[in-house]
Amino acid sequence: MGTYVLKRIMSIIPVFLLATLLTTGMIHLSSVDPAEAYLTAAHIQPTDEILAQKRHEFGLDQPFLLQYVNSIMKICQLDFGISYVSNKPVWDEVTYRIPATIQLALGSIVIAVLVSVPLGFLAGVKKNGLIDHFSRVLSFFGASVPSFWLGYIFIFFFSVKLDLFPVEGIGTWQHLVLPSVTLALPLIAMYTRLLRASVLENMQEPYVLFARTRGIKEKTIMGKHVLRIAISPMITGLGMNLGKLLTGTIIVEAVFSWPGFGRYFIEAIFNRDIPVIQCYVLIAASLFIVSNLIVDLIQMFIDPRISRKEGQQ
Amino acid sequence: MFNRLNSRNTLITAIFILILSTLLLGCTNSSNVDSASKNDNDNMLTIAWPRDVGEMNPHVYNPSQLFAQSMVYEPLVSYQDGGELKPHLAESWEISEDGKVYTFHLRQDVKFSDGTKFNADIVKKNFDTILNNAGLHSWLGFIKKIDRTEAIDENTFRLTLTEPYYPTIQELAVVRPVRFLGEAGFPEDGDTSKGVVEPVGTGPWILEEHKADEYAIFKRNENYWGELPKVEKIKVKIIPDVETRVLAFEKGELDLLYGEGVISLDDFKQLESTGDYETSISEPVATRQLVLNTKKKQLSGERVRQALHYGFNKEAMVEGITSGYEEKADHILPTNFPYTKDIDVKPIGYDVKKAKSLLDEAGWRLHKGKKVREKDGQSLEIELMYNSAEPIQKVMAETLQSEWAAIGVKLNIVGVDLTDQIQRFKENKFDINFFSNYGAPYDPHTFLNIIASTGFGFNEAISAYPNKDELLKQIAEVPQTTDEKKRQLLYSSILKSVQDQGAIVPVSHIKKTAIYQKDVTNFTFPANRDEHPFTGISIEK
Repeated sequence: MGTYVLKRIMSIIPVFLLATLLTTGMIHLSSVDPAEAYLTAAHIQPTDEILAQKRHEFGLDQPFLLQYVNSIMKICQLDFGISYVSNKPVWDEVTYRIPATIQLALGSIVIAVLVSVPLGFLAGVKKNGLIDHFSRVLSFFGASVPSFWLGYIFIFFFSVKLDLFPVEGIGTWQHLVLPSVTLALPLIAMYTRLLRASVLENMQEPYVLFARTRGIKEKTIMGKHVLRIAISPMITGLGMNLGKLLTGTIIVEAVFSWPGFGRYFIEAIFNRDIPVIQCYVLIAASLFIVSNLIVDLIQMFIDPRISRKEGQQ
Repeated sequence: MFNRLNSRNTLITAIFILILSTLLLGCTNSSNVDSASKNDNDNMLTIAWPRDVGEMNPHVYNPSQLFAQSMVYEPLVSYQDGGELKPHLAESWEISEDGKVYTFHLRQDVKFSDGTKFNADIVKKNFDTILNNAGLHSWLGFIKKIDRTEAIDENTFRLTLTEPYYPTIQELAVVRPVRFLGEAGFPEDGDTSKGVVEPVGTGPWILEEHKADEYAIFKRNENYWGELPKVEKIKVKIIPDVETRVLAFEKGELDLLYGEGVISLDDFKQLESTGDYETSISEPVATRQLVLNTKKKQLSGERVRQALHYGFNKEAMVEGITSGYEEKADHILPTNFPYTKDIDVKPIGYDVKKAKSLLDEAGWRLHKGKKVREKDGQSLEIELMYNSAEPIQKVMAETLQSEWAAIGVKLNIVGVDLTDQIQRFKENKFDINFFSNYGAPYDPHTFLNIIASTGFGFNEAISAYPNKDELLKQIAEVPQTTDEKKRQLLYSSILKSVQDQGAIVPVSHIKKTAIYQKDVTNFTFPANRDEHPFTGISIEK
């Protein structure tokens, strides 16, 4: 078990190396260099003298591979460098913004779980019933509507017209509602369908038949047995989506002026702020791997058959 | 078995509750603070800005925002309407005969927000830290020419240059880097380029509270030496998305939206048409220009460039695309800048016939059955590069494409990223490009300097001008002039020649827009493009 976890965590290293190489490589392929982008954003004329000075400051006058290796070596010592734009340590900038992003992500997960578990379960239990039809419409809607548009629509109706929630910002729970619902809707769409399919599948299993012949109450069969097993694919989906959730916050944070990490990352891309981009890539890669790992562990916990299979191999 | 299941259930529930409660706890904590700050201030003006105001350091660029820096820090000289330079922190100044020595007499009643006195020593200290980092500020002409800075006595400061440079006074009006930080703001080693200890300025506003990416609150400096602002506080909410800014304004969460690109022209028009808000439009701050690269064979002849100028209906285009919020430009620099009035340029109107005959004369002929003119087997096909994030540039590019097609010119248009646009311009990899000058208080000398220096695109673009060397010589001469009349003559001659030969085509004058709630009064745009507009503004209760 311990070696298994360790092995999975170690797999972050190659993933990270490849991801950073790709992202920094792509930035270098683009015709714009970060020094130039800095001066554009500063509204000053890019004289050759200033450009040369900034390039030197950013270390861009070194060959690409050397720059890359240097930055990776530093990251290994947990030094993410200095942001080109703000002149402050990247790590400070990032840790300042991460709590807001986590708050938003957790908010949307909570909403997604609270809505999709009962909805998906009931839709599966009463196939083609009213709830099933409703869940189908909601899923189509949630899966196909782009979140930035949905965000504007929510702001327009619930904030400008009905004055229920503030338009933008962070602070109270009211601020959290619209952005997290916007972020949660695609998740709800997916999990509801996943759970419904899985409930339907499980209801065909022999154990349900046995339980029925044993005279166990239908409610108990469904709630205690079917749901417990049927929820497993949904948890996998949830874990796989943690990374996606982080990237999904980018748009939602911009629309709702949520002062999080995603919005900061977008600005870093426009400014070609390479240290910030590398830090984001590392965090995103780690999140994908760690969340998958956590999901596997939770799966083993809920359905011990999985770990038994693991042990047999 | 059942026990194990139960304990697992309890554990999962417990984790769930924990997550939920942390989440809610985090929210309620901050909610108290928010509601408290809301109640005690009704004389507060709330605005939105796309980016965080950044560090309040007068001597750095990114990510600090110009308008915010100008609220806290002040210049020696201020730039006013029509390019007039008025005393600000300097009461008066003298310039020596040879134009090299500038002596400033400082105001005696000025105090920094921490109560310390503003004097010649602190002026010198600020200049010295700026000069320590002179490379980064070298875009500002006079910085490179400073030979000596001296504090003569308590209220007299002297600047000695290595050579005469007339724009010095004008350049002292810029927002950064030549504004003044109080003693308490300097770090131990005196180098402000890495940061300041606290934002102590002499300006009408003091930064009271700042949460990066969320908001900044400025309070009125009650001991301000000049006219005291009418509102007590200014809250700057950071809203990166343009549509969200408009929605927040419509809801009444914002009192004012102003600035370039802070609100789109479409939204501005739509909000204005409701009649629920007040609007205001500034004097021209810059000119939108087309730069034609004369190194390109098709554009090397003056007649072709003029034909292109004759060949589009400028007035209709500007009016139609900007709904009248910009105005047709006949000069490459707005005429409300210093030395730019009364430049006697050749007037060029919309005249398709003339355009066609000019092209014929230049040898670009339209053969039967073809749509594009040709000369020596080459077709008259050119490319226009525009900033894809700027809808006005894009629509103008499309208009030009169809207008010029009518005179037999094939225009390909290509949208690029802003930084990409600047880079391609610098590297001379363009046929036609959109550009706009820097505006007040930088022009006209900065614009000429850009034309004269290599590596900005202009110098290369005007390569086919027969009098290029003469022009460059004249441009180099202007800043050194000490005689007003001679200076004006030089400017008139340079600007006329540059424009008449058609490599730079003026399109429209860019203006700033502002929209505000009905209870906001006395809003005026500052003459300096980068300065804040908050001093006279008030809110009716």
